[in-house]
This record gives sequence, structure tokens and C-alpha cells, in this order.
Amino acid sequence: MNDLKTIFAYVKPYKWPALIAFCLMLTELVVELIQPLIIAKIIDDGIVAKDIGTIGYWGLILLLLAFSAFTSGVINSFFSSHVAQSFAFDLRNALFSKIQSFSMATYLRFPSSGLITRLTSDVQQVQSVLFMSLRIMIRAPLSAVGSLVMAFFVNPKMAMFLLIGTPILIFFLNVSVKKGVHLFSEVQRRLDRVNRVLQENLQAIRLVKAYMRGKHESNRFKEVSSSLQDDTMKALRVMETIQPVLLFVMNISLLGALWFGSIDVRNGEAQVGELVAVVNYALRMTGSFSMFAFIINALSRAKASSERMEEILLIEKGTETYPASTRALDVKPTHNEALRFEHVTFQYPNTKKTVLQDISFTVEKGEKLAIMGATGSGKSTLLNLLPRFYDPTEGAIIINGRNIEDWPLEELREYIGYVPQSSMLFTGSIHENISWGKQEASMEEVTTAAMNAQIHHTVVNFPSGYETRVGQKGVNLSGGQKQRLSIARALIRNASILILDDSTSALDVKTETAFWDAIEGEEATMLVVTQKIRTAKGADRILLLDEGRVIGYGTHEELLGTNARYLQIVMSQQEQEGEA
Amino acid sequence: MKFIRKPFGYEPILTKEDVKGPFQKKKGPRANNWKNTLLRIWKIVDEKRALLIAVLLLVVVSSVMALLGPFLIGHMIDEYVLKQQFDGMLPLIAGLVFIYVLLALSLFFQNYWMIGIAQGAVYRMRTRVFHHLLHLPISYFDKRQHGELMSRATNDIETVSATLNTSFIQVFSSILTLTGTVIVMLSLSPFLTLLTMLIIPFMFFATRWITKRTGKLFKEQQAAIGVLNGMIEETISGQRVVKAFSQEERMKEEFRAKSARYRRTGFWALTYSGFIPKVMNLLNNISFAIIAGVGGLLAFNGHVSIGTIVIFTEYSRQFTRPLNDLANQMNTVLSAIAGAERVFAIMDEKQEEDSGVVDAQHKLSGKVEFRDVSFKYESAEDAYTLKNISFHVLPGQTAALVGATGAGKTTIMQLIARFYDVENGEVLFDGMNVKDIKRQTLRSQMAFVLQDSFLFEASVYENIRYGRLDASNEEVVEACKRANAHDFIMKLPHGYDTILTADGSEISQGQKQLLSIARAFVADPVILLLDEATSSIDTVTEVKIQQALEELMRGRTSFVIAHRLNTIRSADIVFVLQQGEVMESGSQKELMEHNGIYANMLSQSGIK
Repeated sequence: MNDLKTIFAYVKPYKWPALIAFCLMLTELVVELIQPLIIAKIIDDGIVAKDIGTIGYWGLILLLLAFSAFTSGVINSFFSSHVAQSFAFDLRNALFSKIQSFSMATYLRFPSSGLITRLTSDVQQVQSVLFMSLRIMIRAPLSAVGSLVMAFFVNPKMAMFLLIGTPILIFFLNVSVKKGVHLFSEVQRRLDRVNRVLQENLQAIRLVKAYMRGKHESNRFKEVSSSLQDDTMKALRVMETIQPVLLFVMNISLLGALWFGSIDVRNGEAQVGELVAVVNYALRMTGSFSMFAFIINALSRAKASSERMEEILLIEKGTETYPASTRALDVKPTHNEALRFEHVTFQYPNTKKTVLQDISFTVEKGEKLAIMGATGSGKSTLLNLLPRFYDPTEGAIIINGRNIEDWPLEELREYIGYVPQSSMLFTGSIHENISWGKQEASMEEVTTAAMNAQIHHTVVNFPSGYETRVGQKGVNLSGGQKQRLSIARALIRNASILILDDSTSALDVKTETAFWDAIEGEEATMLVVTQKIRTAKGADRILLLDEGRVIGYGTHEELLGTNARYLQIVMSQQEQEGEA
Repeated sequence: MKFIRKPFGYEPILTKEDVKGPFQKKKGPRANNWKNTLLRIWKIVDEKRALLIAVLLLVVVSSVMALLGPFLIGHMIDEYVLKQQFDGMLPLIAGLVFIYVLLALSLFFQNYWMIGIAQGAVYRMRTRVFHHLLHLPISYFDKRQHGELMSRATNDIETVSATLNTSFIQVFSSILTLTGTVIVMLSLSPFLTLLTMLIIPFMFFATRWITKRTGKLFKEQQAAIGVLNGMIEETISGQRVVKAFSQEERMKEEFRAKSARYRRTGFWALTYSGFIPKVMNLLNNISFAIIAGVGGLLAFNGHVSIGTIVIFTEYSRQFTRPLNDLANQMNTVLSAIAGAERVFAIMDEKQEEDSGVVDAQHKLSGKVEFRDVSFKYESAEDAYTLKNISFHVLPGQTAALVGATGAGKTTIMQLIARFYDVENGEVLFDGMNVKDIKRQTLRSQMAFVLQDSFLFEASVYENIRYGRLDASNEEVVEACKRANAHDFIMKLPHGYDTILTADGSEISQGQKQLLSIARAFVADPVILLLDEATSSIDTVTEVKIQQALEELMRGRTSFVIAHRLNTIRSADIVFVLQQGEVMESGSQKELMEHNGIYANMLSQSGIK
């Protein structure tokens, strides 16, 4: 179990309450183990010796012990729940924190469905095992071992027979556990898939309905569910063979002890009471065996889940915890330069295609740069490099005279206001969504941002105004309204660099014009991906991309005169205009 | 010493109301709910009745064997060991070996089959809830977080799964063992039996006291994990925004709060359910002491044999163990009920009504009419998105919807697709109310390019084929060529066989739209709905596919929304919407001459 160290470390903060719980459990156990001894005493010294006082005396002790066991048990409940729940709480938080620190590249490796399963189902598995181990799990083996020890104490020779099957059992358990862990991690992976299909369908429910693909999707879901079912069955069935096998071996051992014990009794080497006690202990051992099987099942499951969680927790590369840079400012801040791309080349991790090739350009402070280009030419990717969602494969990006890799990440991102291509709003009110990136924002700031984003009037016309609830994907808002909320969310941060990734595509001309006018006064440097020449015209400079390369850079007029591709774009918008 | 106080420092969840004494309300609605939920689970399990009966028989066998074992051992001690009579022992031992073989086999097979039954039931439950989910009205999804719904089909069903695997056998065998034990005990000594039974009422009340609390707590716990799941899903899906705004810390905090809520409910649920075995043990021990004491006295007086007491103490354990198990199962079952209730809650949601009377083979002509339609979204209190909309579009016409964002354009599209039902007014196809047409009939003759493009985790082929499942590969490629998607698809690592993912990086937003358009090309519909179909596509590409789109629209009734007005140049009829009302309508020429809103919009966008 060496490889579970990482997970196990999360129990450490609770070692004292765990220890208390453990001791309380031991108390209970000791009582349980002493009982047969007392019974034997009552039989041998009380009944056989016809001593009524002894019977009463030991009977009373038996009762007292029972009550102390009960009290221990109840207190144990509190301690073990506390340990298990707090452990799970910490583990969940640690996982979530780790996930939050993932770089975008790492997200591509772990689909969100898999992360969700880990944070819920996998944590749950391990937590329940910890809880059991503090209450019953150790108890069953201990009770078995304890019974055995007591049996040895009563009569070593008879007790020996109870151990006949041990080597077979050890071998058998070893094989089962190995197989179980493997199968259970398969089960959890299947659960990921189920989660994934669910998530996809919920996200695309309109599409599924529109194309009447309910049946198709149901079948797809049936497929993943049935592999989940098959693998669960396989795993559980392997685990369930443990119980009958254990019981059988133990029962046969018991018969052995009984047979050879009775021979000893016959030969006068042992007392009847001893044999009765040993048989009693043996029966008790078998009693704890079904629990044993259950435990092994749970342990295998927990191990499988732990491994999956460790996979996340042990990620070191691929998180955004960059070491603080020791490099001095290697470039002198040019006074007017806001940002500069220096021969930036980029490939998405684990792909071969170069998405950006040798990109170089400079944007001055307060300038507005329009980025244009065909679908798939790398516009969004280029913008994704600025907040360091991904790092360039080659080349450097300089913001304010400083390589972005030398910026503290949080500072860098605070410097940038980002409006993504798809709006991605969060569950909550409109107010919460706008102030999402700036919690402490005043109502005034919120309304100003909303006004600038041209959404204020729409919002105040809603019955609940800024308190209107917005669903997960902002469902009851139109596409343009979502975009404007997303813009307001960025504007409120008063960032120095504003990135708009084709974020005005759903706005009508009037609204869009009003928007650009409203933020005209902002001092921010802007990078705007757009399809519209009209928007590009309003920019100070235009960067034209094609297949990841810069094929044009300059003002509208410059490009108009020199750049064929740009002209083509202009024509594509004018040609139609002429006809309309 | 903080660690000693901490376990007792959790803020309670249950209120006095929740745990009213057992006499105050005898049959509350909750008790009934439990029963119903249990019955529903049972019905799903019961579908495999034959196998279930086989399992039950095996449980009978194993229970009898489990009783017979100790009985014979006790008998052996009494009759042979104590009497120093060893001759007949060997056959008895052989008999015991046989019993134990039978026990092991019956245990194995009952488990083996039960797992099959349980997982089969879980599978049916899961797929049914999914199937049901897909047929719920869109408005249902508007109100809920994806992650929360996902939790029901995973976390909640898992509780049912865990319970079904073990509880059924456990409960049944417990009852059997109990009955058997009582019979044997009665035959041994009715008096001692009565003595043992004394603890039953105590057990009953203790269990009741506890389950009253755990039942409620389990429910809370499942709800809490649902909320947590919702947040996880949303945060991870929106990770890009979280990162861009450096909100990781706040997300962690929010997560911590929701996680803490889950911990708190979990703590109490675990603690209370942890009481059950303790109480049972106590009662168990007490009865043990009583039997030993009183039994000892009886033996002392010669009323019973020592062997009987030995056996009896063992049987008294056998008697309390199943009771103990039953009480424990109560908890497991309650947690399953808590989970199942949330699953059934989805199944109880009313599905989209589909009372269509129009023949499924009916071919629509493409005539679409709105008659005085007013519409508001369920969540939007009293704000109407559409007000008294009336229009009609003839077969083969292309209708453009224009207007400011939020004017209601997409809503009209959604009503045509019958994502929502109207309460005021009528939507008519060929003069028939849309409510009279089966959804299948309607939608199979429509094709859509929605505002948000979605891809499924599947190959390009399969993603395009979403428009029509029986489209051949050639047809798919042809559609992609027309949608101008062929070139970039060929550059993907495996061309048309490349597996796309919903959140992957290999495809840009504009390319996603091209694929959505290809989907529509493949579909060959009567009615075509294009909602901002080209908004993320650059204009040069747009021009290229414009012609193909126009070809596609020819002969079909089409509804087009586009902000770039030049993309709707081929529209036969234009509807200008403003705040949910049709302000102007007519051909482009008419509208230009009218010199109203539309003409104004055109001049603003520089189009003359």
C-alpha cells in the first residue's frame, strides 16, 4: 500500500481523534472478547460448582461491561464520523485546489467528467472505508485475531487447528485484491464515461431535441451504462467469492479443532469447558468473516479510487504554479509599448500541427488592434497566449516591457480583461455575474460597466433588474445579451489590456456601434478579434492572420492599398452590400 | 485538547420539527413517501423475478445451513463430547462438512446472481432516467445546473446500487434466520426464549429514534452532494473564465463552503447511523447476561442442561445478529431511498406533451403561421418575450428575422421547433396546430443551425451524421465540401475519422459552425432554421458558403437570423422585431420603400 501515501497523508491532521476512536473501538472489542471467558467462568465455576454467588457476580460484571462498551461505541460514532468527514473534506478541497491550478493544457488531458467523478464518487469511496476502519473494519480482523489469541490462551493445541487454512487464504486474498483493484478502477473509469455522456447531452439538449436524436443518445447512454454495469458486476463478483471461500475454509478448520479437541478431552488432556470455549471463539471468528469479505471489497475499491485521485494530486508539471522568476527585467520598458509578440510559434500540447508560426507585432498603449483572418487561422489561440492559458512553443510575449513568463500570474491576469468567444456565465444573479471578477465592486461600478456594455437598459427592464437569476449557461438571455454581460464582466475590472474574442458577433449594428463609442474613452489597450470590416476600421491597426501566419499588419488604409487578402475580406462585405 | 471538543462541535441540522416524537404523527406523508419509493425500486428489481426467486431459494438454503451448523455442533458437544461418547462423531462431522460445502456454494451463487439482478436494476434505472430526461421540456433544463442533474444519475443511483447489492439478501436472510432461530429456541426452552425476546421492543424504539433522524439526514446529504456536483461541473466547464479573471481563490472558497455543508450533513448522517450497531450491541449484551445468569440458575436447579445453555447463548447471538443486521439495513435502505427519491423526482417530471394526431408519415408543405402568439419563459416572471406575434410564411419562402438583441428572434425559432409550447395564440404548420403534430414528424422535417454549436465526442463523420443517421460517408463529405469544412477536416490528424471532443482545442468556434452547417446540409429538411449560422465565420468563407446555403434554402421554407444584414439578402420576406413585437414585415423592397426601421438599420450598417 506504499503508493497510497499521498492520500493517507490527509488522515494525519486527525490522528488524535482517530486514535481516540480507535481506542474506543478497542474497548468495545475487549468487552466482546472477554464475554465468552466470563460465560465459561459462569459455567465452570458457577453452575458446575453450584455457586450461585459466582453466577450473580459475573453476571453483573457482564452487564457493566456491556454499558461501558455502549458508551464507548456512541462516543466513537462522533469521533470516527468527524475524522472520516473531515478527511474527505480536506481531500476534496485539496483536489479542487489542485484542479484549479491546472494549466489549460492539463485540462485537455482530463475531461471534466473524470474530474467530477473523482471529486465526488472517488472521495466517497475512500471516506467510507476510513469510517469503517475506525468502527468495524479493524474490528473484524482484530476480533478474528483476538478470538484466535483467546483460543490459544484457552488451549493452544486446539487453537492450532483453526489456523490450518491460513496459507491458502492468504494466497487467495492476495489474488482477489489485486484483481479487485484493477476491476474497480475500471468501474470508476466507466463512471467517468457515464458522466461524460450525461454532460454532453445536457449541454447539447437543444441539438438532441432538434434533430430528434433522443433514441440515438439513449442508445449511446445505454452503451456506457451497460459497460459500467458489466464491469461493476465483474468486480463485485470477484469480490463476492471471498466470503464463501473464507467461510468454508474456516468452518472446516473448526471441525478439525472440534474433532481433535474431543480426542484430547477423551484422553483427559483438556477440559470440556475449554473445548466449548474454543468452539465458541471459532464460531465468532466465522462470524467476523463475512465482514472480512466486505472489508476487502471496500479496500480494493478505495485503493482503486485513491490511485485515481493521486493521479491528480501528484501532477506537478502542468499546473500554473510557476516558480517566481529571478530574471531581471530583460527588456527596458519602452514607454509607449503595451505588448509585443516576438517570433511566437505555438502548437497545442500533444499535437503536431503548428497553430501559430513566427508571429511578431507590437501594440502601443491605448491602441486598438483588430485581429482578422479566416476561420481556424489562429486568432483565438493567439489571444489565449496572453493570459498564459498556454505558453508559446517558441518566442516570447512581452507586456509592459516584461516577458509574461516573468509576471506573477495573478498580476498578469489582473492586468488583462478577457471576454471569451462563448459567454460562459455562472449560476447567480446578473449583478453577481457582472461583479464576478471584482467582488468588492460597488453597485455604481456594476451599472457603469453594464451601461458601457450596452446591457443596462435591458437589465433594468427585467422585473427583478440586476437580481434576475441567470442560469448556468445564461439560458433565458439572448445570445447578444449574454455577450454583453460577459463584456460587462470584463469591463468592470478596468484592466489595462482588454481582449475581445469576437465577442460582439451577436450584437446588432446599432448596439455594437454604441458599445464601441462607450468604451472609446477607456485607456485600455485592446485586442479585438472580429469578422467585421466596420469594427476593424475603428481600430488603430489590423493584424491579418492566415493559417497561423501574419499576412498583413497595418491600418485599414495601408492594408486596403497593399494587401490582397484584406481587400478580399473588404470585398466580401461590400460586394453583398452592393446587392442588398 | 481541541481535537476532543471538535467532534461534538458540528452545528446540528435537524430541527425539533424533524424529529417529533413517535406518537405525535403516526403516519406522516414521509412514511408514505418512503413506502412508495421503496415500492418503485422494488418494481424495477422485480422485473427479473425468476432469478430473484432462485436467489431467495438459495438464501433459504444458506440460512438453514447456517443454523444447522451450530445446532449440530451443540448437539455433538452435548451428546458426544460431554458424555465422552466418541464413536458416532465421525459421520456427524462428515455431515457437517457436507453442510458447509452447501453453505459455501449457496452463498456463492446467491451473491453471484444477486449482483446480476442488482446491477441490472441499476442499469435499468439509470437508462430510464436518462431516457426520461431527454424527453423533458427545455424549460426544465433552463432552471437546473447540469452538474446537479448529473449527480442524480451517478451519485444518487450509486447509493441505490450499493444497497441493492447487499440489502436484499441481508434483509431476507435476516428474517429467515430470525424465524428459524426463534423456532429452535422455543423448542429448547420457551422460557429462555421469552427472556431473549424482551429486548425486541427496545430495539424497535431505538431503531425508530435513529432512522427518524438518518432518513432526513441522508436526504440532505444527497442534496448537498448534488449542489457540490453542480458547482464542480460549472467551474470546470468555465475554467477559462475563472483563470482569466484570477478567481481561483474565490472558487476554492466557494467550493469549501459547499463542501463544508456536505461534510456537516455527512457527519450527522454517519454519526446517527453509527448509533445503531452500538445500541444493538448493548441490548445484545444485556440479553446475553440475562440468559447466562438466569440460564445458569436454571441449570443450577437442574431445569436445563449445561449444553442447552451453551447452545442457547449461541442462539441468542444468532437471534440478535439478524435483528442487528436488519437495523443496520434500515440505514442503508434509507440512504438508498434518499438517493432514489431524487432519481424518481426526475422521472415524475412531466415529459413534453406529444399528443400529436397527425400521421407520422405526413409530409409538411412548409407553410408556417404564427397566430397571435404571446410567449414568456417560465423563469421570467411576467416579462413577455413575444407579444401578439402573427405572421405566415409560405412553402419555399425564406424569412429573415431582424432586430436588436433580445428582440425575440431566437425565441421565435425555438417556438417553431417547439422547444417550448405557447399558451397564448397558436403556431400552425399547414394550418394545423403544432400541438397536434408529433414532434418526430415535425422535427424530422426540420434542420437547425443553432446559435451555439455543439460537438459530441465522436468522429467528424458521426458528428455530421447527427443531421441524418443514415447518411453515407460520401454524403457527409459532400455536405462538408459545400459547407466549406472539407479542407480543414482533411488537415485534422485522422481526417473525417478524427474524434472531436466538446471541449477540445482542435477545432475553432468558426469551424464548429461550419460543421453545424454541414449537419443541416446532410439533413435534407422541409424547413430550415438558421440562427446566427455564420456569426463566427469570417466573411470570406461566408461568401463561399453563402451560395451553398442559398441553394440549400431553395425550395425549402427557411428562417434566418443574422446580424450581418447582407447575409439575408436572399430573403423573400423580412420581419423586423422590436421588444417582442413585429414592427414591420414585407419584402426587402417594400421595407426599403417604407423607409422605416429596417431601412434605417441598413443605412446604419453602411448598406445601401
